[in-house]
Amino acid sequence: MLDQLQPHSAVLQAVAPLTADDRLFLFLSAEPISATPGQFVEISIPGVGGFPVSPCDLVKGKQIYSCIRKAGRVTSALFELEVGASIGLRGPFGNGFDLSQCVNRDVLLLAGGLGIAPLRALLAALLKTEQHRQLILLFGAKTFSALLFRDELVKLAKAHKLKLLLSVDDDEGLSHVTTDHPCRVGLVTSLLDELTLQCKMTTAVVSGPPALYRGALEQLATLGLPPERIFATLERRMRCGIGECCHCVTGGVYLCQEGPVFSLEKIRTLEGALE
Amino acid sequence: MKDTHLPCFRIKPDFYDALAHHLAADFEFWASLVGADGLCRLQLVASPPENTSSGLPGIPFKKLLLPPAEPLWSWDGKTFQSPDPQPRRAVFGVALCDLQALWYLDQVFAEDPLYQERRQHLLIVGGPCQPADQCRCHPDESPLAGDLFQTHDHIWSLSNRGHAVLKELAKWLGATVDRPLPKPLQVPKPRADIREPLFRASTGSAIWQQSSQSCLACGVCSAVCPTCYCYDMIDHTDLDGKSTRQRVWDNCFFSTHAKVAGGHDFRPDRAARLRFRFEHKKFGFGPLRGRPSCVGCGRCLKACPVDIDLDQIAEQLNAGEA
Repeated sequence: MLDQLQPHSAVLQAVAPLTADDRLFLFLSAEPISATPGQFVEISIPGVGGFPVSPCDLVKGKQIYSCIRKAGRVTSALFELEVGASIGLRGPFGNGFDLSQCVNRDVLLLAGGLGIAPLRALLAALLKTEQHRQLILLFGAKTFSALLFRDELVKLAKAHKLKLLLSVDDDEGLSHVTTDHPCRVGLVTSLLDELTLQCKMTTAVVSGPPALYRGALEQLATLGLPPERIFATLERRMRCGIGECCHCVTGGVYLCQEGPVFSLEKIRTLEGALE
Repeated sequence: MKDTHLPCFRIKPDFYDALAHHLAADFEFWASLVGADGLCRLQLVASPPENTSSGLPGIPFKKLLLPPAEPLWSWDGKTFQSPDPQPRRAVFGVALCDLQALWYLDQVFAEDPLYQERRQHLLIVGGPCQPADQCRCHPDESPLAGDLFQTHDHIWSLSNRGHAVLKELAKWLGATVDRPLPKPLQVPKPRADIREPLFRASTGSAIWQQSSQSCLACGVCSAVCPTCYCYDMIDHTDLDGKSTRQRVWDNCFFSTHAKVAGGHDFRPDRAARLRFRFEHKKFGFGPLRGRPSCVGCGRCLKACPVDIDLDQIAEQLNAGEA
């Protein structure tokens, strides 16, 4: 129980740059961690603070990969740390994605920007179990270079593991990129036009900024996907992770505990969920 | 705990001396006292007071369970260490509304190791109260927590721990009597409730803008509320390099409460924050949804510098005026 508030030690084992502000971090925890895709952990930098983050790959034993954006005080401090630095880890927290919803169904993943991070972990879990039917990923970002993990996703597409559709909001520089995979200019939701979905047999999982949720979730329902099988992972100020501190409460629900993954059916009942 | 069959005893004249003597070796004593400035404060006292109806302390005794700042852990550069053990405290003269609030906090923090440690080190002795103008309690509504309840001639046992204390002091107890807890008889105006569907339907109502217009976002309503418990975590580093993470009181009226890194704010204005607090007080959050967290102690009414009154908002919504 103490673990819920007190971190255990971990080491920053490796860092790889992804964009100017996004890096892939590998943390080695002193204790095994059993986070499933969509759950989150708290990374603590003693003396600075902590922040919640979802692993962006399957958690193997003590290894946690996270894709982290330099967005605030604590993540900025993390970006200054040297490999080998000690940090703290708490968690995992939250419900995570329900993989059983993907069994024998088509799975449509829709990611905006950094929202790809938790979906990459889900993707890894799906590819490991192979119990789904068709797997589709629609992935949009502001610019071409912000399409995180693009190379590995394209590789998966070429190996026919995944149907991959990419988009960028801003075409600046796009024409100069020699690309091995098509990329549309426009909103990620515009990629839905290119698909013919068997809606009743499809589970959708959406991950991205609030603006994406406001349009995409109801758009999927309008296409005919059942609202109980359209899922989104909601970002909030998760402080404690254990349903106490109240920052993440939305519609009376502690998102850190009951969520962060909710179906559209549930989201419709949570006042302010998509604000 | 419902009080229908609480064991009650008459007490012999020197009971309180015996109680003080019995507890003195293990416990600090805390009680509400009115100071020279006229303010009532829960404070450390030399001995348990016999007469405890001195009123509600401005800051409720949540400050002993969830201190304004408490260490969660410290880090010496190598390992994370737990905070020091907590002192044992006996708190006297806790009013019924605050015993209801204690029950509420006990549910919220049932799994919290630090709260539970403090809680187990706390012996809580309730006492009768004198309803004040702002009192809006429902004395029979929700369960009470606590260990004992005392008047000048009777004592009730509210818990196993309370029972164990009385067992040790059997010599000073008189006959068992069938007597209900002395509850406030005339509360001027009980807390106003509202049905959740009506609240839900009021999202677009102008009442939130209107009511929050004068709000100074000072947060005093939450600070004095016995069931406001939200917290932040803040790190400090000593000159010797030891880092400590503290749990500190937060406040849903503060502009950072729902703001995430990157700048998005999920409750961007005072109207949204007032509605959030209203929702917590009238309906509760999480597993406690459906039970008002407000115990009607009236502290927020007394403390608010601009007289914001959640009950008035509820009444206006109930009357269809907003």
